[in-house]
Amino acid sequence: MILTEESIQKIKEKAARYPHRKSAILPALTVAYRQVGHLNDEIYREIGRVINIPPVEIAEAATFYTMFPKKPVGKYLLQVCHNLSCALVGADSMITYLEDKLGIKKGETTDDGLFTLISVECLGSCATAPMIQINHDFHENLTREKLDKLLEELRAKA
Amino acid sequence: MAQETNEKAAATPVTMVTLTIDGQSVTVPKGKTVLEAARSVGIDIPTFCHHPKLKSVGSCRICYVEIEKMPKLQVSCATEAMDGMVVSTNSDQVKQGRRAVIEFILLNHPLDCPTCDKGGECDLQNLTFAHGTDDSRNDFQKTRFREDDMSTTFDDKSIGPEIVLNRNRCILCYKCVRSNKDAFGEYDLGVYERGNIAQIDSAPGEQVDNPFSGNLVEICPVGALTNRDWRYKIRVWLTETTPSVDNFQSSGSNITFSKERQKNKIYRVTSRPNDDIDDGWLPDITRYGYQIVNSPDRLKKPLIKKGGTQVEVSWDEALDTIAKRLANIKDSKGSVCIGGLAAPSLDNRSLYGFSKFFRKVLHSNNVDYRSDCRMLPSSSDTICSRLAMQPFSISDLDDSDVIVVFGSDLIREHHNEYLRMRKAFNFNGARLFSITPYAVKAADIAELEVVHRPGKEEFVLQAVCQAAVEDRLVDDQTAGRFREQVGNVDLTELCRSAGISTDSVKQIARALASGKKISFVVGEIVTRSREREPIAAAICNLNKLFGLHDKGQVAILARYANSKGAQKLGVVPVPHKMLVDKMNVLWSETPSCEAHNTDAMLALLKKEEIDSLFVLGANPMMVYPDLQFAREGLERADFLVACDLFETETTQLADVVLPLCSWAEYDGDYVNLEGRNQTARAAIKPIGESRTGFDIMAALAARFEASDLFEVDAIESEISQMLAIADTPALPQEYTQVRASEDKEKDGFDIPLYLCDDPHHSGHLTEKSPSLAEFSGEAYAEISFDLANRLKLRNGESVRVESPVGKIIIPVKISEILNTDVVLLPRNFSSTPTTALMMRKRRVDMVKLSKVDD
Repeated sequence: MILTEESIQKIKEKAARYPHRKSAILPALTVAYRQVGHLNDEIYREIGRVINIPPVEIAEAATFYTMFPKKPVGKYLLQVCHNLSCALVGADSMITYLEDKLGIKKGETTDDGLFTLISVECLGSCATAPMIQINHDFHENLTREKLDKLLEELRAKA
Repeated sequence: MAQETNEKAAATPVTMVTLTIDGQSVTVPKGKTVLEAARSVGIDIPTFCHHPKLKSVGSCRICYVEIEKMPKLQVSCATEAMDGMVVSTNSDQVKQGRRAVIEFILLNHPLDCPTCDKGGECDLQNLTFAHGTDDSRNDFQKTRFREDDMSTTFDDKSIGPEIVLNRNRCILCYKCVRSNKDAFGEYDLGVYERGNIAQIDSAPGEQVDNPFSGNLVEICPVGALTNRDWRYKIRVWLTETTPSVDNFQSSGSNITFSKERQKNKIYRVTSRPNDDIDDGWLPDITRYGYQIVNSPDRLKKPLIKKGGTQVEVSWDEALDTIAKRLANIKDSKGSVCIGGLAAPSLDNRSLYGFSKFFRKVLHSNNVDYRSDCRMLPSSSDTICSRLAMQPFSISDLDDSDVIVVFGSDLIREHHNEYLRMRKAFNFNGARLFSITPYAVKAADIAELEVVHRPGKEEFVLQAVCQAAVEDRLVDDQTAGRFREQVGNVDLTELCRSAGISTDSVKQIARALASGKKISFVVGEIVTRSREREPIAAAICNLNKLFGLHDKGQVAILARYANSKGAQKLGVVPVPHKMLVDKMNVLWSETPSCEAHNTDAMLALLKKEEIDSLFVLGANPMMVYPDLQFAREGLERADFLVACDLFETETTQLADVVLPLCSWAEYDGDYVNLEGRNQTARAAIKPIGESRTGFDIMAALAARFEASDLFEVDAIESEISQMLAIADTPALPQEYTQVRASEDKEKDGFDIPLYLCDDPHHSGHLTEKSPSLAEFSGEAYAEISFDLANRLKLRNGESVRVESPVGKIIIPVKISEILNTDVVLLPRNFSSTPTTALMMRKRRVDMVKLSKVDD
């Protein structure tokens, strides 16, 4: 079993809120993602057993949403927005800067397992572009100095 | 009250709408789509994602039409036809729209038609040719799905024992996923990811191996899903087609054979949609079962046992020997010493010829088609046999609002009816109830599944009746009559004995009382039970109490392709009186000597009171539910003749073996479980020297100088007169007392055993189909997760199954469905003689299970 008893309880609570069990798929995936840090086939099967839905339907929903990582990622998932507003004010150079600084390419994880760098579609924070989401938090109006500071803080916390 | 609402429903006329399509006025019922309206008058609109038996999704957009006053092109498959609409299906705008859709669909399509098995019958190929352009504006790299191991060419990916997926060719019409979920209720296929990497694939960690998976390949509009059965074997334009009828299932699905005449070989079976029977869906048994026809194991020449071994002989020698021996026995000991068993999958002519040969030429009444039932009653006019002759219609399941499945595991016995039931639930909101001694797959959509204690069928039925009377669900007069004739029984006591809750019984009673159109279908667990008679009596009581016949159908579902034909042609020792009357008219007389059924014949063979048995296509050694008993009988036969397609356990014992044609090799008529007479045409010439059942009977009759009785035209006319007898025997007018007996328990044998069919097999022949064998694997014993846990068994580990009479060692299969202590053994594997564990006198066979230590 991958899911903890606590997660299973949370999923059950969420499932009870909806008239149709299927509606609980995304909330359940979110619970699993927050616990594990990524999703995989075994998790789909476990969720399927908890909310009594065929695992294939869970997998369909999970793979449709790119925001759920399907492979293990570093402790901090750096998600740089590459969509229009951010791109216009230098998202690409932020990505290159992070690649050089961390010594990895987009989609890779650092050797110490701390950072995974990916770029994502619009996160709805166009007014404060360029921006990055690290795990579940937004960091906006990015500059190289801001990124340096952020990474330092995260390293210190880890 | 109920009558009132019925009248109201009948009084509401169906609203019709009239629209104009391409200048033609079309009137259709409200609710139909523009596409359906157009097709109803023969105007063709191209489609990919539309399927007449599935809900519309409008995902491919090729069915664009222009509708006046609507600003953009509309998808006709998802636009409801409205009064006064003016539709154009062929305007310049529509043509341009279609061209754009084709261009878009082809963006990532590999255009590998020369190596694609769909080529020649591909919707995408045809529609591109008809509506597309010969150029593409695409100047970037196509998305290509690659298989990591590159073990297959063209990025093919195996997603099941039969199915191969090529995601590059897929146009994402979702027909496979939709039919799998909505029509078949299977969840082993899904669509993952999004955008240009959206793709079809099997469920995580699973294979696409459900018993309907072949349909996914057939409905794929492109070459994304292909099956190994057809891949790289032949091009479609090199084949010819022959219309036929399925020979493995009792519903008689309509099929088409694709064959190559020069090679005398069948290459595949596809559907020939008939909405009354199959809705165009074929179970895999039907689709891949044909492979037995061209099996290299087919018997090709007659065999005679000489000095202990069977040697090949000519037909003349074999037939002369049979005629001489039968005549000897008839003259010296009397014709009552000869018996015959026929297979219920043979055509009408073979079965009728078999019966006529025995009755008219040999003057013996010992004929039977039921070689898989124990303890058959000697009389033909029993409540069970009368119930079995009640009318049944497959399509009536569609609009039944209450469906009760009693004693049947539909997905193992009746695939078409299983799908109909799902359709009734998915599309018309039918309420389903399942009453069985073990949990079944069909119950996943049931409002209530009642799993009762094995061997307590009649208790459940009595309890439902009693609940209706107690809760005043039927009027006082009816209830009074029931009480008077049946007496008062204690509901709680009944439920306790059957191991079910009183609430569940009451829920079923309420549904039966309130249902407007009810289908009550009864399966093999009843018909093969020793206590079929009292159970049938209890069903009749229920029928009478709720007036089920007046508001729907109560029917025993016949198994096998032509059981109904055998029943109607009187291939039983004592046919129903109306059949005997007809035979007397047709033949001027019928023998009046003693008549013995399968059970009695086997018993008399053992006692050496019957000397000879003639077996036409049946295999009692594999299907009779007491192997010891069957073997003792057959081994003592002085003269055993067995006709079959293959060497079987029965032919091994025979003195003379005759090779039989399969149904694909001659024109034959078959009566399906509804009583519908259908014709299967010969697709190929007989394999080897095999002959049809009728030809064998006629050739033998000629040796008894009775050729005149077997003239084909006369036989055909006699058969049609027999089948034309439309009367159905009346069910009991009064309530009957239900008295069933139970087995005395044997110590140590604590787990009930049920013999069943694997969902991918039917009868003893399908294991010769390589595809079906691939699906089912080896023989197995299916048990619940709990039971496996207690026995410390994991999937695939060996288990010893012991009964008082036998013992087998077999791999265990942990079921996702079973939830009680019971073991299911499929009887389709000749390698494992499951009937060796059974005793004919038992109501429920009991076994004990233990883990085999290596």
